[in-house]
This record gives sequence, C-alpha cells and structure tokens, in this order.
Amino acid sequence: MTKAYSRLVAAVFCLFLGGMLVWSLLLPDRDRSEAENRTLAQWPAFSWASLRDGSYTEAVEEYFSDQFPLRDQWTGLKARAEQIIGKREFHGVYLCDDPLFNSGTLISRVDTPDAALVEKNLGYVTALTDKTDVPVYLGLIPSAAEIWQDRLPVGAESWDQAAFLKRAAETGVPVVDFRSILSAHADEYIFYRTDHHWTSRGAYYGYAAVMEALGRGAETLPITHFAPELVSGDFNGTLYSQSGVHWLEPDYMLFWATENGLTVTSWRSGAPETAALYDRTYLDQKDKYSAFLGGNQPLCVIRNEALPDGGKLLLVRDSYSDSLAPFLSQSFSEVHLLDLRYYRASAAQYAAENDIDAILVLYSVPNFVTDRNLAFLGQ
Amino acid sequence: MVFSSLTFLFFYLPVTLLVYFLAPLKWRNLVLLLVSLFFYGWGEPVYIAIMVLSILIDYTHGLLVEKYRANDRLARWFVGESVAFNLLLLGFFKYWDFFAVNLSRIPGLDIPVLGLPLPIGISFFTFQTMSYTIDVYRKDAPAQRNMVTFGAFVTMFPQLIAGPIVKYKTVAAALDHRVNTWEDFALGARRFCVGLAKKVLLANAIGALWDASLAAQGTGDLTVLGGWLGLVAYSFQIYFDFSGYSDMAIGMGRMLGFRFDENFLYPYLADSVTDFWRRWHVSLTSWFREYLYIPLGGNRGGTVKTVRNILIVWLCTGFWHGASWNFLLWGLYFAAWLLLEKYVLKEVLGRTPGWGKHLYTLLVAAVGWGIFAIDDLGRCGAYLRICFGGGAVWSGLDLFHLRSYAVTLAVLAVASTTLGRDLWRRLPERAEKVLTPVLMLMSLLLCTAYLVDGSYNPFLYFRF
Repeated sequence: MTKAYSRLVAAVFCLFLGGMLVWSLLLPDRDRSEAENRTLAQWPAFSWASLRDGSYTEAVEEYFSDQFPLRDQWTGLKARAEQIIGKREFHGVYLCDDPLFNSGTLISRVDTPDAALVEKNLGYVTALTDKTDVPVYLGLIPSAAEIWQDRLPVGAESWDQAAFLKRAAETGVPVVDFRSILSAHADEYIFYRTDHHWTSRGAYYGYAAVMEALGRGAETLPITHFAPELVSGDFNGTLYSQSGVHWLEPDYMLFWATENGLTVTSWRSGAPETAALYDRTYLDQKDKYSAFLGGNQPLCVIRNEALPDGGKLLLVRDSYSDSLAPFLSQSFSEVHLLDLRYYRASAAQYAAENDIDAILVLYSVPNFVTDRNLAFLGQ
Repeated sequence: MVFSSLTFLFFYLPVTLLVYFLAPLKWRNLVLLLVSLFFYGWGEPVYIAIMVLSILIDYTHGLLVEKYRANDRLARWFVGESVAFNLLLLGFFKYWDFFAVNLSRIPGLDIPVLGLPLPIGISFFTFQTMSYTIDVYRKDAPAQRNMVTFGAFVTMFPQLIAGPIVKYKTVAAALDHRVNTWEDFALGARRFCVGLAKKVLLANAIGALWDASLAAQGTGDLTVLGGWLGLVAYSFQIYFDFSGYSDMAIGMGRMLGFRFDENFLYPYLADSVTDFWRRWHVSLTSWFREYLYIPLGGNRGGTVKTVRNILIVWLCTGFWHGASWNFLLWGLYFAAWLLLEKYVLKEVLGRTPGWGKHLYTLLVAAVGWGIFAIDDLGRCGAYLRICFGGGAVWSGLDLFHLRSYAVTLAVLAVASTTLGRDLWRRLPERAEKVLTPVLMLMSLLLCTAYLVDGSYNPFLYFRF
C-alpha cells in the first residue's frame, strides 16, 4: 500500500466512525420513537452507587443506542438485507405473499401459550356463566396466522388456533364462529397487512358472525348498507414496527359505519365524558388504529337513540372490538365495552346494574391465551 | 463494552484513536494504559482494583526475577510466586463456586458458594502476565522497567477481554519503541472490518438456528436433522464469533502499532483432530504447549509420560474454558481423540482419502461443540443421542430452517475456507484498490444496521 492510498483507507474508516459520533452528539435527543412506540432512554443521572453496580455504564450504552441517528432507517436496512438472503421471519413476524398486494403482507407468529393459563382463562368464562343470569357468549377471533395460514412461508411455525377454538367450544359456553366466516372471505382484505388487527371489512364479517350467534342473523345489515369512507392510505401498524419491514405498501383504513344518531360516552379517568365513534386526530399519528373509539379505555358506552328496542350488549373485550363496535352500534340500542386491563371489577355485577341483555367475551385468540386479567370475569 | 456494540464503535474507538494519535509518541503507552483502564472499568468498575494489583505484582516479580537471576533458586521462587498469584486469582474468581458446590457433596463438608461475578477477561490477562515472568526468567525477553509500559501490555484493550493471548515476548520490542505508519493503520482498519462482519453478520446470524434446535429439544421436537443443523450452526457460530473477535483485536493492535500472532488458521480445513488444534485458538494451545506441556517433559519421556502430559494439558485446556464438568469432559474428549490419532488411527488416516479425513475431523469437532455448548451433562447426552438416531429423522420445521438459513450456511461454509482469500489475492491491483474501501464501508454500514436492530425494541403496548 502506498502512503497516499493507506491514508484514503484510513480516512474512510475514521470518517465513518467519527462522523457517526459527531452526528449523534449534534443530534438533539428524542423523547420517544414513533416507529417503536416507546419512550427512549435519556442520559442517566450519575451516582457512585450506580457506577459501582454497573447500572450507570449500562444506562449510558442504552442511551447511546436509543439516541443513535437514523434508528428506523438502520432497522429497515437490516430487514432488507435479511430478505435478500432468504429470511422470511423478522422478530416473530412472517413476511408473506399477498394475492391482492404485490409488496406482500405481514403475519404475526403465534407462540405456543402456557397450557395452564389457557385452561384457566377458559375456566373464568365458564365461571362468569354461573355468576350471572344474563346469557354469556364467547367470541374468539382467530388471527391472520390462522385465517391466512396458506400464505405463511412453507414450514413456518405458528400455534394451532383451530384446535384451540375446538377446545373452547367444548366448554359449553355458546361461541361465535368467526373462523368460518373469515375463512370464507379469506381472499378479501380482512386483516391489515402491517398491523395485527382486522380491517373494517374483517370487522364487518365479525359483526355478521356475532349477530348470527345471538340468534339475530336476519337483522344483520347487508354490506351494501354501508358507504365506506377512506380515511387513511398510509397506515403503518404494529407489525411494521415489530418487523422492521418498512417497504410494504401502507395499509388503507376505512370507516364504514356513520356516527349519525349515536352518543358515545367514555370513562377514561373515572368520570363520564362525551366521546366519538372515531377520533380523527389519531389519523395524523403513527398509531392510527386508535382512531376507532379513541383507543384504550376502561369503559365505553355507545347509545343508538334510533333503536330503543335493539337490546343492550356488553362486550368484555380487547382492542379488536374498537373497530367492531361501530357495526354493533347500528343494531343494538346500547353497546358497552369493558376492558378488564383497566376496569378491574366484576363484569357480572356491571351487567346487572346496567340491565344488560347479553354478555359477549370477545378476544382475539393470541390475546385470550396470554391475557392475565381475566380473573375478574369469574367475580 | 464489547467491540460489536454501538458504544464501542461510535464512541470509545474514535475517541481513543483520536487521543492516541494526537499524543506524542513517548506518551502513547500512558494513553494506551489509561484508555484501556477506562475500557476495563466501563464493564468492571470494582474489579479494576484487581487489574491494578495484578499489574503491580507482576511488574515487581519481573524485576525480582531479573535481579536475582544469578541465584537460580531464588529466581525460580519468584517465578513460582508470580504464577501462584495469577493462578490463585483465576482459581478464586473462576473456580471457587465449582469446587464449593462439588466438594460440599462430601458429607460433613460445607463450603459456601460465593456467587461472585467473574471479572471480564481474567482468564486471558492472568495467562498473559504469567507468560511475562516466565519469559523474563527464560531470557526470552528483558524485564520491563517502566511500570506504565508494563501496565499498557497487561491492559491493552484490543486483546484484554477475549484474547488472543499475547505473549510478552511478541510485543516486547513494540512496547518500547514502536513505529506507527499509515499502512499499518489502514491494514489494521481493514482487518477490523473483516472481523466485525464475521462477528455481527455471520456469527450472530447463525446463532438463532442453534437456539432453535435447543428450543426444539426443550419441547421434545428435536429431530436427527434438526440436531445436526444445530451442531453445524453452533460450529459456525463459535468459529466466526471468536475468530471475528480475534480479527478485530489483531486489527486494532495493528492500528496502534502492534503485531499480534494469528489466532485462527482456517480450523475447519483441518484433516485431523491434531491438525484442528494447530489451527484453532492458536494462542491458547501454543501457550499450553510452551508453558505446560513442554515443561512437563512433552513427548520425550516415553509413552506413559506422554499420555499423562497430554491428559494433563487437555484437562487444563478444557477447564480453562469454564468451571463446569462439561468443559472437563470436552478436554478429555479431545485428549482421547488426539491420543487415538497418535497411537492408533495414524495408519488408518494415512490410507483415508482427503475428503474422508476432512469429514471425520468436522464430525469430531461438531460433536465436541455439542459437549462444549450444553453445560448440563444430562441434556447434552440427550441432545447427542437424538443426533445419532434417537428421534424422528426430520420435520417440516427443519425444512423451514433449511430454507431460511440456506444462504447463510453456504456463505459460512465458503467463508471457512481459503477461497475468499485466494480469490482476493488474484484480483488485479486496481480492483483490489477500489474494492477495499467499498467493502469496508459495506461492512460498517451493514454491521451498524444489525447492531441498531439488535437494540430495536418496539413497545407494542396496544398489542394487549
């Protein structure tokens, strides 16, 4: 190597390392990451004790990597490199072909859950039927890994949700058959490709399945009743964040049902506040799915003044119900949504106090088999 | 702070290089000592005291050995004292709990388990400092009079925590007067980029496959194919991890003006187990040969003594790798193969075609890694039983893994051979000149992407 050439090679090396150092020093610290949806580590406060036990230097390293320039772009570059060498799994998310979209779809792997917890959770649902005279239904929504399992890469592992649904039906609690209707419409856009939730179209079929299970199938509003409104064409959901696969076409988000004649009341901080079926401020943020009912809350009640005899439905639910509720609100005079993560009291008692006609325990399968808050069902 | 971390790459290393090269030549050992102590203290703020103590004791003993050289008994005594100190240090921190647990099984004996964290790199720096006093005694190197220079040798950050084990005599001259050239820096930087890519892109990539096999064993789904896939994956992982780390150390040493000996010589191209150990972790095997096997008499005392010496050396080699039974077994396993080759298989191997010898060596090594990697002997035995037919032959999951890792495995296999090196050497000079900075930059970019991704931790609170 000549001296001049050696200097060039040395310069490439030093400029890259030094350049990133200077860049990260100049870059203002960020409080949170939109893509990762979490707060980022800040420069730690110094103390001798934290230095001695090693937690100080650990925190500095965490600060350094959290505040590293272009975090999201680096992750995207890594996922791309992995894809090129044939990887189809990215942090527990499979990249699959999609018949409707050339860029493909993301499907979250469902890991084998703790068998004891699964049985316990089913037991809580049975316990609820003993606690109340109101009819109880169990709705378990299979995730895309089940409905779209033919799209998964060959041999890709995902826990058998169909077997679990069969087991759930054996409890004797009447179940909502989501699997059949979703499977029948599997070639439609029923799950987001970059998010683990169902789309409004998927939720519509979910609504039809619920009506059927409650014996009101004849009253199901036909698909033509709705005039879907496209509200976002660039929704990048949870799977986008989790996988680092950033090159897929973003998802579309549509609002099907209208808010006409509905009053929505949310209990976000213990007291009732007027809310809305759709909170459009979320449409400008990363977390667009929260536009449905405004995201997580302990309790939410939707009243339809036009249907005084539509019946009162209580949903003990997870976030899949946020996009389902707009449909149910078109057929029930009251839909109560209760989230056991935040509403920590007896569901049976709530049903009695509010004159509920039917209770539907409604969870996606992956959430139901891992949730640890269901004990309140049996109280 | 490991080399393959964002903090090291984009904070510690650039700052260290800047300070080192801004400092005048005569201050560079002091700079090296200080930045290395900072490096050590970063991970071990308390154990830095052990490091300083170790420097002081070995520095003093080197001088004592030289001063009393005329009196051989006294000189030997000081060598012994220094060796004993280092072995006690290593023994206390690394092996106390092992002996405490196992000796406490004897009725009436109850030795407390201390649960002390192992000081990083203690296995490496104790061996290096032992080599120092012995080298001085053997007149292979003069004693170091300057304590700062000696401290710089012991703590030198490139090889401090994972080797290679640098013998004092190999760097003695460079410590006292070294020349820093642009060419050394450039070649060192190139070597560093190669090592970084080996560690971050290759070793880490295949590690997940080994984990998958272990997980499959846990759920009872391990197959013969899955078992061997796991062993192959681990063989690659440990080679690219360790040799990548050595490359980075050798590269950084060169940037700073030191030449360390090579630590890995394409071990998976070996055509016998004996050959494998001439190519694998050379700095450790040569240390044991030079400071243990040969002092024990080597192979000059007849068959019985040779067998004894080989057994001793390999028990120590195994035990050096970790304080648990599987490492002792691993050492014995290789001692057995080496003895077999020496006394029984020699002729058979002589008549075996080349591919057969390579395959045999790779098999022995892969099974060895199985013993090495699974420290629970029961689990280890169960795993190997499945590999040798004690389970279903293959499953759909194996095929998914094969497809996912096909490219990675092929790249790893090629990268384990000299093919890349040979092709590189045949490149026209101009192509080499263009490709060097391009590939270095690619290595840095991709490694950064993988490292950032490793810390990428989406919090999906709405996942429920």
